[in-house]
Amino acid sequence: MLVPERGGAVVPVTVVLCVNGERHEFEIDPLERLADVLRDRIGLVGTKVGCGEGACGACAVLLDGRAVASCLLAVGSAAGHRIETIEGLSRDGLTPLQEAFIAADALQCGFCTPGQIVAATGLLRAEPAPTRAAVRQAMSGNICRCGCYPKIEQAILSCSGGDG
Amino acid sequence: MTRLVKTVTEMEGRFEEKWVLVEDDGLVSWEAEAALRHVGHPTPRLTGPQRVSGAARYTVDVALPGMLHAAVLRSPVAHGRVTALQVAAAEAIAGVRAVLTPASELGFQQRSGPLHDEPLYAGAPLAVVAADTLAAAREACRALAPSIEPLPFTVDIETAWQEQRFDGDLHEEARGDVEAALAAAAVRVELVVSTPGQLQTPIEPHAAVAWWKPDELVCFIATQGMFDARAELAKRFDLPPERVRVITEYVGGGFGGKQNAGFEALIAAELSRRTGRPVRLVLDRHGEQLDGGCRPATRQTVRLGATADGMLTAIDAEALVEFGMSGWRAVTTPALTLYRCADVRGIEANLRLELRRGNAFRAPAVMEGITALEQAIDELAIETGLDPLELRRRNFADRDQSADLPYTSNSLLWCYDRAAELAGWPDRDRWREPQADGLLRGMGCAAQIWWGGGGPPSHASCRLGGDGVAQVVVGVQDIGTGTLTAARMVAAEELGLPLDRVTVRGGDTAPAIYGPVAGGSQTTPSVMPAVRGAAAAVRRKLLALAGDVFEAEPDDLVVDDGRIRSRDGGLDEPYTAVTAKLGQASIDGSGNRGPNPDGYRANTFGCQIARVAVDPGTGSVRVEGIWAAHDIGRVINPLGASSQVEGGILQGMAYALSEQRVIDRTTGVPVNATMDDYKVPTMMDTPPIVVAFAPLPDTLLNTVGAKGLGEPPIIPTAAAIANAFRHATGRRAAALPLTRARVLEAIA
Repeated sequence: MLVPERGGAVVPVTVVLCVNGERHEFEIDPLERLADVLRDRIGLVGTKVGCGEGACGACAVLLDGRAVASCLLAVGSAAGHRIETIEGLSRDGLTPLQEAFIAADALQCGFCTPGQIVAATGLLRAEPAPTRAAVRQAMSGNICRCGCYPKIEQAILSCSGGDG
Repeated sequence: MTRLVKTVTEMEGRFEEKWVLVEDDGLVSWEAEAALRHVGHPTPRLTGPQRVSGAARYTVDVALPGMLHAAVLRSPVAHGRVTALQVAAAEAIAGVRAVLTPASELGFQQRSGPLHDEPLYAGAPLAVVAADTLAAAREACRALAPSIEPLPFTVDIETAWQEQRFDGDLHEEARGDVEAALAAAAVRVELVVSTPGQLQTPIEPHAAVAWWKPDELVCFIATQGMFDARAELAKRFDLPPERVRVITEYVGGGFGGKQNAGFEALIAAELSRRTGRPVRLVLDRHGEQLDGGCRPATRQTVRLGATADGMLTAIDAEALVEFGMSGWRAVTTPALTLYRCADVRGIEANLRLELRRGNAFRAPAVMEGITALEQAIDELAIETGLDPLELRRRNFADRDQSADLPYTSNSLLWCYDRAAELAGWPDRDRWREPQADGLLRGMGCAAQIWWGGGGPPSHASCRLGGDGVAQVVVGVQDIGTGTLTAARMVAAEELGLPLDRVTVRGGDTAPAIYGPVAGGSQTTPSVMPAVRGAAAAVRRKLLALAGDVFEAEPDDLVVDDGRIRSRDGGLDEPYTAVTAKLGQASIDGSGNRGPNPDGYRANTFGCQIARVAVDPGTGSVRVEGIWAAHDIGRVINPLGASSQVEGGILQGMAYALSEQRVIDRTTGVPVNATMDDYKVPTMMDTPPIVVAFAPLPDTLLNTVGAKGLGEPPIIPTAAAIANAFRHATGRRAAALPLTRARVLEAIA
């Protein structure tokens, strides 16, 4: 993949993305944000852009299983990696974690919720039984302005094999 | 019977007498001991599956065929004159379809703006571009390259006060003779407190998608008040309201800052009118933090006089407000109402600065006022040697002190006792003993008052189909408060149906069923009685039909758990035994919120206790626990209600500890208008929070006994934390938030 010089006209390059197990090919400026490509080109609008500066976590997606801010990721650098969005996680019905969010009322307006679910999914895959401290650390990059943190923490811990 | 009655309505303390349409529904409020199957039981929210799976569609997600994208050019200076805009350069960019500048002839009326050639604050909109792509719109904004002649500005409260730059008149409300009472008082305290500017920071920014069709203007708007938005669009564009449709299915937080149609919807509609294409306008984060609104900063002086045993004899509150809402004065309301006192004065000055004017932010003005008043009360407790809660109990006001009217209900004393019990308040001094970790600990409390009684007009409809499923329609959108879930519970209760056989629709003005703006804690006490009324109308019709089908007296029949039963137990049939006979027909009912009781004031009350740990080495303050007891009448959904309280507390905690709009005085520009630099709390900051609700429904107020909950929990938190800091350190910081620098200065 060739990256064009900035400053002049953008030269689109071919970028192949693997999103939720499906192959997508674009002729695209490789510096476009992954979040925009997911939302505007593939129509996966479950990924939200809250701040566009990597500070809120609403745009979290899993990149090879790890939660990343898709608003800070150039689409060119996502090529060749396995990308999972909230739609991918929900494809076979709600996961136990999503059910736990509903049961605990770990959401209010719900705008940050896809990002919270994605980040927590990444955490639980890497560490199936996180301690309470590990949950708080891992989730501190996901802002919930409605203030659902006590219940998000509770929902994640209810899906954890750990004793908290 | 349908009547037009004149009644007093209230929104955030603004009282208004108006005519409202009332249909008597014959319902009486559920009693405290009523055995209810759904109401009062923790219930997960209706739209949970959509919200956790990414399926919920917010305004920012709306994409229509041929849709254009709009971007806003904003003022980089606090005050200036735009002398040139390179409009031709912007229009030359590929994909640009419309450029609006202050010189553009707009299709709607507005007194000032919406685009400014003399911007009066940094971030004021100067121009807007609509283009095929957002990238092209943004590039065109850059190409506009405004030439701006800078003009003088004032962005600090002190200078504005010295220059007497008032916005409107000084507002004074008084009773008795406060100066004489202060002079005669055995004990006096005086406290000067500064509070910060606080930004709502909803994670979904302000947004609108407008589509000007030949016969209808359709607007998707991230708003708290879809009917207010419709009225604003209709009025400004001179359209009949029925030709404007506002759709607000999901909103990513509002917290007061998303009222009416707003700049976004007006501009998107205008761009759509010009281009014939749907237009989406979403604020970027910088734009949201600059121009989404704020709770204005204040500087307040509170003087209290009391007897030696702590009976308040004088309350004098002065507030300077950093360019707050036009014509809205309530910072000193708590001083005038929270405690029993004969000689009281509140004076407020709204100062005009070159800053973005404040707008509503959860408990606007009252939170600022409580933050100062309740710290002064704490000082009085110290001065008189009384337990701070005991001092508050002694000065309990059992009726509204300003209006001299009784309350429909008031469980504030219960809240004091319950919060104290939960927090272990009697042992609070033990936290001040030397701690193994070297931190200074302490506990503080604060009380809360707010309106939140709601009122008419508010309407609902209910339709029961052949399948025995009821569909309720309300005129409000669910901004995250759980309104639609509560409506489902109330309807299911009245209809005797399981929850999964009641659906609720809101978020669309098309059905023309009116509901109020989600603000002022009025939604639940306004909308739920209307929902109950609509469901009751359907229940009565169903039982009348059941009487025909089963040859029984309708008065002998009841509904429960999806079944129709006779009181003597002889009949027990499913709903569908009747409804299946309806064919394509349905049983319809409508309901409305009745008038408020004459001669009363409806208010919410509460008390919170905070425990903090202060690091004297670094100046960091951690909140280690919050215990909250609130009187909101009947709690419809305890699960959603506890979420509301937790969220309010966290926003209040951040007001005390970290959130502050910081203005560079040399440039007049906010320097932290990003989410990276504007510090909202994270999970790591979240302390354990314990929530309790007074177990007393407000049966005088409305037919469900509920008061509102949106604002109450945010109100006392910051004062409780500041008082805990005082208890821990023996010092009081002159200003919030308690940044490390302020803390180190205070304890030095």
